[in-house]
Amino acid sequence: MNMKRFLFLTVAFILFSTPLHAATLEEKVVEHTLKNGMKLLMVERHTSPTVSAWIRFRVGSVDERSDERGIAHLLEHMLFKGTTTLGTKDFAAEKPLLDSIEVTAQALMGEKAKREKSDSAKIAELEKQLAKLEADASKYVIKDEFFELYSKNGGTGYNAFTSRDGTTYLISLPANKLELWAAIESDRLQNAVLREFYTERSVVMEERRRSYDADPESKLWETFVAASFLTHPYGQPTIGWMSDIENLTRSKAEQFFHNYYAPNNAIVAIVGDINTKETIALVERYFGMIKPGKEMPPVTALEPKQSGERRIEMVAEAEPTVMIGFHKPGITTPDDYVFDVITMILGSGRTSRFYKKLVIETQLATEIGAFDAPGNRYPNLFVVSANPRAPHTVKEVEEAVLTELDLLKMAPVAERDLQRILNKIEYEEARRMGTNGGLARNLTEFEATTGSWRYMTENRAKIAKVTPADIQRVASTYFTRENRTVGFITKKGGDK
Amino acid sequence: MSRFLLLLFFLVSAVSSLYAADQQLANPRTMKFPALTFHIPKAERVLLDCGMPVYLLRDSELPIINMTAMIRVGSVYEPAAKSGLSGIVGSVMRSGGAGGVASEKMDDELEFMASSVESGIGSDMGTVSLTSLKKNFSRTLQIFGDVLLRPEFSAKRLEIARQHAVEGLRRQNDDPKEIAGREISRAIYAGHPLGNVATFDSVRSITRQDLLDFHRRYYRLDNMILAVSGDFERTALLKELNEVFRPVKYEAALLLPNIPQPKELLQGALLYGKKEVNQTVIRMGHLGLTKDSPDIYAVRLLDYILGGSFTSRLTMEIRTNQGLAYSVGSHFDIGRRFTGSFVAETETKAESTGKTIKLMKNIIAGLTKEPVSDDEISTARDYMINSFMFGFTTPASIVTQRARLEYYGYPDGYLEQYRDNIAKVTRGDILTIARKYLHPDAFKIVVIGDAAKFDLPLESLGKVRELDLKLNIPKP
Repeated sequence: MNMKRFLFLTVAFILFSTPLHAATLEEKVVEHTLKNGMKLLMVERHTSPTVSAWIRFRVGSVDERSDERGIAHLLEHMLFKGTTTLGTKDFAAEKPLLDSIEVTAQALMGEKAKREKSDSAKIAELEKQLAKLEADASKYVIKDEFFELYSKNGGTGYNAFTSRDGTTYLISLPANKLELWAAIESDRLQNAVLREFYTERSVVMEERRRSYDADPESKLWETFVAASFLTHPYGQPTIGWMSDIENLTRSKAEQFFHNYYAPNNAIVAIVGDINTKETIALVERYFGMIKPGKEMPPVTALEPKQSGERRIEMVAEAEPTVMIGFHKPGITTPDDYVFDVITMILGSGRTSRFYKKLVIETQLATEIGAFDAPGNRYPNLFVVSANPRAPHTVKEVEEAVLTELDLLKMAPVAERDLQRILNKIEYEEARRMGTNGGLARNLTEFEATTGSWRYMTENRAKIAKVTPADIQRVASTYFTRENRTVGFITKKGGDK
Repeated sequence: MSRFLLLLFFLVSAVSSLYAADQQLANPRTMKFPALTFHIPKAERVLLDCGMPVYLLRDSELPIINMTAMIRVGSVYEPAAKSGLSGIVGSVMRSGGAGGVASEKMDDELEFMASSVESGIGSDMGTVSLTSLKKNFSRTLQIFGDVLLRPEFSAKRLEIARQHAVEGLRRQNDDPKEIAGREISRAIYAGHPLGNVATFDSVRSITRQDLLDFHRRYYRLDNMILAVSGDFERTALLKELNEVFRPVKYEAALLLPNIPQPKELLQGALLYGKKEVNQTVIRMGHLGLTKDSPDIYAVRLLDYILGGSFTSRLTMEIRTNQGLAYSVGSHFDIGRRFTGSFVAETETKAESTGKTIKLMKNIIAGLTKEPVSDDEISTARDYMINSFMFGFTTPASIVTQRARLEYYGYPDGYLEQYRDNIAKVTRGDILTIARKYLHPDAFKIVVIGDAAKFDLPLESLGKVRELDLKLNIPKP
């Protein structure tokens, strides 16, 4: 070990680091690629004796076939259930039961799929058999052993999330416990067992009811995004529609797992109180022998050019809300940088145009925001979302928003507005290095969606090149009636 | 110091030799780890010339400074007829101009520097916070001082804030989870300021003079604590703080209202609100305890075992074993100034509402009948003790935590002795405090959903009182 460097780190650990200048992200990130293609990104931060480890797989709901909708997310849940050695008392005894459960569950789904022509006696019998088999299998299960192991060792924030673009597994641990992460995660990647599948599928249905069905704004959002895409899978909700979830099987989830969960589709970020050399050795030791899988094929569906406004109404027991979307190109395209500027000018903070006009001046709305969604890897939407303030209507808010968009086409944006955006990005560059988890999240996200975490450091220079003329051109190109989808809630029993 | 260096060197070499010696892959169940020494980070406490305590922690990793003022104020000080006043004071302090700087100019100046100054008032604490790049700190600090001490409460911005509060009330019954959260809190704290909610009438009655009076009474230099962290230079910072917070002679002594503790009647209630949804929101609970009770350590462990972790009894049975819910749990919110609460919560499909309510009550009651297992208490203890260091991961969280301990009057050594106090708790202690603090028969239960689709008539679970969810909706 390099002694001088070690002493410097030790001192830094005690006094909090006091370098002459704050190191930039470019200087701090250490990259390493394993022979099997797994990408490792590390940052040493010695503020506290903790470490955050994030694994991102380049597979999300956008990669599902139509009969697999919801599987990326359900699989994410299932990957908490253990392996051939963890989460089980005796896998050899458990396995035949799991196989019988799968046969029975598929027979049950097949019968239920006949809907009104199904045989209710047969359904009842299969349900009884399934319950019996599940009870038998559960005798071998050690419930949530991953969680239990991490917890006992002081792990926090053990979680995972699935988006259109990817699936991420995260944990923070005391810095001396990183080997536990390597052991569990490498085991999960190679030997996962999707036990308790059909109970967990019910949990996901409850998640769907909670996050979409019973929440009017989220339900509108789901409908609005689906209406915006005819062909591209970005239109499908990541969690799946209810009937999708009802027909997912463990076999499908296993197939999806084997197709996509391979080291060459994985990006790992480890940020915190680590030594990068030792961390590389640790990761090589636990993940190095895993065989690479297939290359991820890109999504081939191309959304046809929209040729007219789409309007989506949802009647609900809720006050009105409105969403306006325009198709636009995905991340790293030249116009996307222009959209970054437009999004900030229109929607970021108290100096944004929407806030100043609709919230303060005309007071048509109480809340208004602009963002892009539902993913980044493929062409997506620029979205404006607002809550009208009674007695003002969806229509009034919509007209006011469109007026602001037209203004962007007609008049060049002032230099000071552009400078304010660059100042904000400069601040964000510093701030996002302030927590292990936040930095690990950004590193994995941008490495996965843009091809390199350096997107974070190069973004400001790209945005600095955006001119007022670029903004006018992009606004005129994309903010058209033909390219627009509007979704809104009408209050049930209301007259608006 | 040199001894400490040596110790660290030993630890790190222990790590490397372990890696070198053991090329086998370790079993997660039996894995051993190198020792890790964790010292609780300290913050320096300084008194400004005006007497205000300031906690300081310097860290130059990032060129950013964070600052928070904690003010002894809260919604508990609002008169019931003016419910919503403190929320509006907190927001208009920032939005309504201050120190001669008009709203629009302040917004423009702050956002051009990428600085932020924000203000808010919770149930028992007001905060004004600042974040700024080091190079813009001095100007941002002046604005921070103005917002805190010299807000102008522009009439136009007050009107906008009032309209937003009205619109918020209009929307307060849109999301069933929001309804349930509000109603369980109202039921638990009925008759106490913590149970008051804003109404159209109370919000409409608020005047600019109310804002000025409320602010003048509580936002005084002798009623707040500061916490500062980040890339500052100590001497220069203290000089600047002393200039912004020059000593003030107040005409009257600080007078904080005396708010009584909420009363627990241990009387159950079943409240139902109708929403046409396919999933029912369920909340149940009653009053809990305050931080001054010696029982808080046992309660923390009970919380983890009952409903505070992924392997808790509630989650294990209702989610993992039965697939009845995605989100289920329970939590003792340990009160700092006022008696806290215990609330258990979940959402389940309409058709399993009755089953789930009964199951939750039974699981909770189970803790009052038998001691928890050795495994349960040791996992909970290990988690609490081993994850303790995550309370200290950023300079801002370290320094804010120290200031909060003083603000709420925690005893000296609270943090230092926390892990030992957790380690001392026995299975018997948990049974004792479960019997003392959990009374399932006296739960206030809130059920929001569509009773026509429930598996059981709600009346079979108790006497139902239906909530009028239209009560707060004004005529358009």
